[in-house]
Amino acid sequence: MRKIELERALSGEIEPPVIRLDDVCKDYDDDMHALKHLNLIVNKGEFVFVVGSSGSGKSTLIKLLLKEIGPTSGKIYVMGKDISRLKKNAVAKYRRNIGIVFQDFRLLPEMTVFENVAFAQRVIETPIKKIKRDVPNILSIMGLSERLDAHPSELSGGEQQRVALARALVNNPMLLLADEPTGNLDPRNSWEIMRLLEDVNKRGTTVIVVTHNKEIVDMMQKRVVHLNKGVLTNDYEKGGYSNVKN
Amino acid sequence: MFSLASIATMAACLFLFGVFYAVIANFRAMISKAETRVGFTVFFDEGISDEEIAEIGEKITYRAEVSEIVLTTADEAWEQYKSEKLSPELIQTFGNDNPLENSASYTVYLNDISMQESLVRYIRSIEGVRKVNNKKDVSESLTSINKVLTVLAIAIIIILLGVAVFLIGITISTGVSIRKQEISIMKLIGATNFFIRIPYIVEGILIGLIGAAIPLIILNFSYGVIINALQNNFALLLSGTDFVDSGSIMKVLIPLSIGLGVGIGFLGSNITLGKQLKKIEVKT
Ligand SMILES: Nc1ncnc2c1ncn2[C@@H]1O[C@H](COP(=O)(O)OP(=O)(O)OP(=O)(O)O)[C@@H](O)[C@H]1O
Ligand SMILES: [Mg+2]
Repeated sequence: MRKIELERALSGEIEPPVIRLDDVCKDYDDDMHALKHLNLIVNKGEFVFVVGSSGSGKSTLIKLLLKEIGPTSGKIYVMGKDISRLKKNAVAKYRRNIGIVFQDFRLLPEMTVFENVAFAQRVIETPIKKIKRDVPNILSIMGLSERLDAHPSELSGGEQQRVALARALVNNPMLLLADEPTGNLDPRNSWEIMRLLEDVNKRGTTVIVVTHNKEIVDMMQKRVVHLNKGVLTNDYEKGGYSNVKN
Repeated sequence: MFSLASIATMAACLFLFGVFYAVIANFRAMISKAETRVGFTVFFDEGISDEEIAEIGEKITYRAEVSEIVLTTADEAWEQYKSEKLSPELIQTFGNDNPLENSASYTVYLNDISMQESLVRYIRSIEGVRKVNNKKDVSESLTSINKVLTVLAIAIIIILLGVAVFLIGITISTGVSIRKQEISIMKLIGATNFFIRIPYIVEGILIGLIGAAIPLIILNFSYGVIINALQNNFALLLSGTDFVDSGSIMKVLIPLSIGLGVGIGFLGSNITLGKQLKKIEVKT
């Protein structure tokens, strides 16, 4: 079924997929093959979980999509464009289309909640007026309207991750990448983040979530891509975590 | 913290540069004055007429490198000799005779000392010229001192500037490493290289500007004071020495120091940024 979609996309019959990996390999060195011959298509508006045991290459996949590293072989297309051909300066512009969230939040401790989110807009030279409008807006969606002036150290883990999510989303990316966004959170906060990610996805952003959380994956019934030692072993349309033994 | 150290170093470098420049400028002024004061003397064939002497004078003055010629007549030469070397009793014995009858001469002053040799060759070839006293040694040694001083100054300045570039490099790389996290997030969000670099480049240029302004202010005030003190305390030793005035020193030193400061600041920060920013990866 996926194969047919690939052919249609290639022939230009449908809108190019948001992500298309063609036979991508990533070797860190001669005997460290992090990803092996990966083929993957993610269409606009999809919500995809990427699961697999530690060292299976999930973060490597995220890094490739961010163009933080390049593939050893194979091609990566994002929105129909071969990202290996991006010039150095175009990489910055390319990343503006992608929101990213990490397990460890990566907030700037000396900035307030508002400033942390505004930072993402300042960096891409958004006019102040728009910043003053957008930042409170996205923070209220994240349920943080009361904490604009707090510093990250004064927030719970869940709140910090919601700030990070606000920062990732304030520029309206068409693709959101999340590398274990609930890795440091308790179940209640994990669900809260997942609910927000689902909301974002419903509003049109393509979402890719790397996670180890079986329960969430099983409950949410989204597409699930399994990696095992760098090989894509399973790809379920509405799959769970548990129906594959790793 | 580090930027203070950088500013101080930069200021020290440019201060030394300024002092060097002032010393050299004065030295050069003295040399070129001395050069033009050192003339050479042209003597004529025996029995030459005044008209012929005047003709030779015209030929010499016609040359572009000649600034001035002064005629000393035979009588003047004798008068001078008498007053300097002879006792009144001895002078009596000569009566009205002039034993230096054939000693009329031109003293030739140059505006370009490097042309001296060819000029001397030319004058020797003029008919009626008996002898040219060439004081080559003096002018040559003055010129070579001038050269040595300039080379020395350039060498010292290059070393100092190297030190300044190095220190600004350290300042900038500390700045970058303190903000590693911030920069890594900036890269992730899609900040252009230019956007990330600009604050550090501004910092480098500011260090250069402030580092240039401090010594300029100090030099501007102290130069006149020092020259005055020199002239008052060593009046005898320095009599006849015209120091270059503060205005013409500063006219050169201000644009030069600011140019150097800003240039070094820009260069130092830019070189370091290239290296440091490459090290910051977006860790995932
Ligand atoms: N920079 C690197 N240099 C060398 N090897 C690396 C590098 N980064 C990752 N690897 C190796 O590549 C493999 C895949 O790493 P990756 O980080 O993609 O795994 P992961 O699936 O994200 O694991 P985890 O669930 O623990 O985060 C691992 O074996 C890892 O040791
Ligand atoms: Mg990982």
